[in-house]
Parts: sequence; C-alpha cells; structure tokens
Amino acid sequence: MFLQYFSPHPLARAVNRGMLDYWQILSAIALVVGVVGVARTNLMGLIAGKDRINRLTVLAGVMAMPILAWLWGTTAGSPFVWMFEYVQMPMQATVFALLAFFVASASFRGFRARNAQATVLLVSATIILMSRLSFGEGFLSQFQWIGDWMRDNPSMAARRAILIGIGLGSLTTSLRVLLGVERTWLGGSK
Amino acid sequence: MTDLRIRRWIFLGLAVIVVLTMLVPVTTKVTVSPYTQRMYDYIDSLPAHSVVMVSFDHDASSQPEIRPLSLCLLRHAFSRGLKMAGVSFQSEGTVIGYRMIEQTAKEFGREYGVDYVYLGFRPQLQAAILQLGESIRGLYAQDYFGTPLDSIPMLVGIDSLAQIAVVLSIADANNTTHWMEYGKARFNVPIIAGVTASMVTSYDPYLSSGQLSAMVGGLRGAAEYERLLNRHGAGQRGMLAQSATHLYLIALILTGNFIFLRARRGKK
Repeated sequence: MFLQYFSPHPLARAVNRGMLDYWQILSAIALVVGVVGVARTNLMGLIAGKDRINRLTVLAGVMAMPILAWLWGTTAGSPFVWMFEYVQMPMQATVFALLAFFVASASFRGFRARNAQATVLLVSATIILMSRLSFGEGFLSQFQWIGDWMRDNPSMAARRAILIGIGLGSLTTSLRVLLGVERTWLGGSK
Repeated sequence: MTDLRIRRWIFLGLAVIVVLTMLVPVTTKVTVSPYTQRMYDYIDSLPAHSVVMVSFDHDASSQPEIRPLSLCLLRHAFSRGLKMAGVSFQSEGTVIGYRMIEQTAKEFGREYGVDYVYLGFRPQLQAAILQLGESIRGLYAQDYFGTPLDSIPMLVGIDSLAQIAVVLSIADANNTTHWMEYGKARFNVPIIAGVTASMVTSYDPYLSSGQLSAMVGGLRGAAEYERLLNRHGAGQRGMLAQSATHLYLIALILTGNFIFLRARRGKK
C-alpha cells in the first residue's frame, strides 16, 4: 500500500485495486463478527437472567432491522426507513441533546476560577459563548471578531501543535511496529 | 439546597428556555463571518454543470445541526446549476443524505440521473476514497436504486475523482480529515466541508493551510448561509434558542463563580 504511492505502473495499480477490494471485504466480515458478538453476549445474559428487558430490546432491534430490510428493502417509504427515521433518529438526537443538560450543570458546578490557568479557560469560554450570540448588530456583535481572533490565533496554534505531536507520535509508533521493536500487538507484555 | 436539587433546577431552566425560544417566531439577525462568505464565494465560483461529490458522513444524532447547513449548501449548489453525486461512508448518513438531496432537487426541478445521482453507502472511508480515486465504477457498480452507472447520463465520462470539481464533505466527526488525507493529498481533488460547531476548531489548521478550500460550521454557519441565500430556514429559527442557551450558560458560570469566590473569602 505504501510502495504503490511511488509507482504509476499498471501492475502496481492493479495490486492496489485488489488490496482495496479486500479491505472492503474484510470490513464487511468484521461487521458480521460484531453482530454475532452482540447477539451472543445478550443471549448469554438473557439465559443468565440479567437485565432481561434491556437485552430483549437490543436483540429485537438487531434482528428486526435486517428482517425488515430483507422483506421490504431499504428504499424510501419502506418499513426499514420508517424505523430509521421515526425510531432510531429521534432516539439518537435525544441522547445527543442530553449533552446540553450536562454542559449546563457542569458550567455551574465545575467551571470555577480556582487558579490562573482555570481563569484563562473560563474567560476564553465566556468570550467564545458571547461571540456565538446573534442578537443583531449591536454591542454583543462586537464579540464576534474577538471570538474569530481567538479561533485564528491561540486556538489554531494549539491545535497545530497537537496535530504535529499526533503525527510524529504515529510515525514513531509505526516505525517501531514495522521494525519489530514494538511487538505488543502480537501478544505478550514486551 | 442539595446538589441534586440544584441540578434539577438547572435542567428545568434549560428546558424551559429552549422550548420557549423555539416557540417564539422571532428571527435574529446574524452577521456573516468571513468563513461562511468564503464558502459561499467558492460555490458561486464553480462553473455551471460542474460535478460536485457530496459525502454525507454523519450520524442521525447531529441532524438538528447538520440538516439546516446541508440544505443551504445543496440549495446554493443546485441554484448555480451544479450537478451532484451523493455518497455516504457512514451507514446512518445514507438515508438522511438521500432525503436532503432529493428534497432540494425537487425544489429546483432537477432530474435524477441528469442533474443529480445518489450512489449510496460503502464501508471503510479510507479504502473507499482511495478506490474512488482509481475508479468510481470500481466502488459503485450501481447507484442507490440498483441502476448500473453506465446507464446514468450524468456519469458518462466520469469515473474518478479527477473528473470531480470538488468534494463537499458533510460530517460530524473527523471524516473530513480522511477526505483531505486521501482525496486531496493523493488525487488533488479540492475539499470543502460543512461540519458541526464542535468540529470547527479541529479543521481550522487545514483551512488555513489550504488543504480545505472552504468550511462552514454549526447552526450559526447555517443561519449565516441562509442570510446570504436570502432565505429563512431552520438555521435562523434555531439561533434564538442557541443564543438564549448561551446566555443561560454564561449566567450559570458567573453565578457558580460568585458562590465559589464568596465561599473562599468566607474560609479566609
């Protein structure tokens, strides 16, 4: 995969295409392994009598969606799409919306000016929140350019440093694995 | 008051604010940021009939934020006479993406197969992007409805990312990064993005370096785009709720710190 980046030869391209096909096939098989794992764990739990209602709901969901897709397809208006739009989507949106409540609680109980660093974070967060307000073009709109400045300068500098750190870390870990220095992924402790 | 009781009042306050502000039919006026203007100008500058690949790589959970943004970008693209090829590399984005592209196409009287096409879902984003660079037909033999790509008029002569004018990645996580790392770096296709507000700062370095040609983010981005399109939508409608919630959070932060500092002074 790495070498084909440097070769436009038809053979290298053909090998690349073949490997990409296998990549897709392997990920599809991994999905099957995941489904079997979920079903097995929940069936075992059900037999053991633990959290029966929860486990039955999970199993019903795991089985219902493929059956609906198999019987009526996945096109617009099918029962599969109906379940997706009116059951899965609202449930996911609800869980995601709960974050707002946790943020509200955390901003009251945890966001404290305990020391200089915490105070910098607190002031920055408040300015960013102010900069996202939209009450016309009056006094509050002045916070927008301060927020944009913070986004373009201190925030971006920190983000770049993190990205470069991640890149270098990934590179050294990859080299360690390729050169056989790092062998924990094969099992064992060293 | 106990901790649990305080938390309940905070939750109740937030719920009341969000529900009330969503019920009030007031539209707030937003100032258009340079980032949103850059996206608008970018789409505006694309020649008519250029093919835009729209990648719907998001969950159902981010729908309230992603949907208004996606509709703005799709409406702008269709209004400019651009052709769309929809793909999805996240299973949940597949139906959502199709619904949005179909809705906007109908608004502008666009015809399936001629002005837009939907190719559907494929797993493994990185592998899929690399394959799209080699051959679109290698990854998608058929479209979302099972029609062979060779019998779709819009895709005649189009079989790789090289023939795509730009990729619009609509994402709620780091999937746009893969488009830049594999699509842009390997095949030099320009990437533009519509992302959730929480991901905006993650992509700022890419925007600054030019790896990302333009980006618009969050409900605020949608509201700004709606203003540019001169069209009222869910973005502007949701901004009052978002702004009121931000003010509520600021009030909570200030109250929490006031209580904290007073207690600390009391101890001294």
